[in-house]
Amino acid sequence: MNNSLLVGKLTRLVQIDPEPLGENYARWARDTEFMQLFDTEAPVPRDAKKTQEWLRKRMEKARPGDFGFVIYPLEDDRPIGVTGLWDAMNPNRDAWVSVGIGERELWGKRYGSDALDLTLGFAFRELNLHRVNLNTFEFNERAVRSYLRLGFQAEGEMRGAMRRYGRRYNLVYMGVLREEWYARHRDLLETA
Amino acid sequence: MNPSLFTGKLVRLAGQDPEIDPERIARWNRDTEYGGFISVHPMQLEGPAKWRERLQGEVTDRHYHFSIHALDGDQPIGFESIFGTRNQHGDCWVGIGIGDRAYWGRGYGTDAMRLLLQFCFQELNKHRVSLAVLSNNTRAIRSYLKNGFVQEGVVRGSDHRFGLRQDVVVMGILRSEWQAAVT
Repeated sequence: MNNSLLVGKLTRLVQIDPEPLGENYARWARDTEFMQLFDTEAPVPRDAKKTQEWLRKRMEKARPGDFGFVIYPLEDDRPIGVTGLWDAMNPNRDAWVSVGIGERELWGKRYGSDALDLTLGFAFRELNLHRVNLNTFEFNERAVRSYLRLGFQAEGEMRGAMRRYGRRYNLVYMGVLREEWYARHRDLLETA
Repeated sequence: MNPSLFTGKLVRLAGQDPEIDPERIARWNRDTEYGGFISVHPMQLEGPAKWRERLQGEVTDRHYHFSIHALDGDQPIGFESIFGTRNQHGDCWVGIGIGDRAYWGRGYGTDAMRLLLQFCFQELNKHRVSLAVLSNNTRAIRSYLKNGFVQEGVVRGSDHRFGLRQDVVVMGILRSEWQAAVT
């Protein structure tokens, strides 16, 4: 079986199961450095049970174009982060993407890049999107580097739209077009 | 400081009325040139009942909706909204539409946006205000520039409208820029 659509070099994407994910997500959320890099909302402590309920509710409310995945490393059987495409079925053929690696000992080791590239592959190879959007924070330099490496282009900076660590930072808008992603994955283009 | 928060030179802002406004909004949206610019979603024909439901549901401390009335004649000519509010970061998004084409290109929208910015900065204590606009909506972009908005980015081909791929322009204005312009 060729399962390369959801299996990368370092990670694989798995369906959300609120039980194990909730437990791990609650643990990641207690790492406020992670949450400050991941979310514009203020980090608040949460327990596993509440997080599981929240995930269940989100899954119930999911639109047909919302695809949430859990990131597992190839080498073992525990969740290390989350990724997903949001609003991917709208007629504009674009979607928002998000990614976060909760296990901090895996930061900077390309697990996030690998999982995000799988999510982009899903978006372009299966959903046939025209482009994928994300926004990130000026202070998250590791994330910005990773996105540029995967073919995203910085399309704009919303000046001072993030207030954190006692000062203001820009919110960075990035986007990758279908042909930009395929330029890095020519081997995946079928030639007639 | 402008002593009148909700009255400008050409327009005044009023609260939206779920009883009266839906008929008018539904009528404006049948104008495809207006409807095509007003949203990133495909145009659709929604009757007054749908709009009534919407207007009744959306007023919270994170969403504000105003009806724009022309001072001459005092009839509603459009609407404007504040949404996407994140108070901890001090920013919000705004949207505006002049549905009555008799008032296009005559400064009414610009005056209404000036009042909305004044409300955002003076009352809501925002640090910045953001908006997004289709890149070929040049009349709107000119109006935003007049009010001090700065172009901050171009989202390449993110909208499909009028049969073509369109760029979306993101604009923003900082409190300091607004302050400098009004004093």
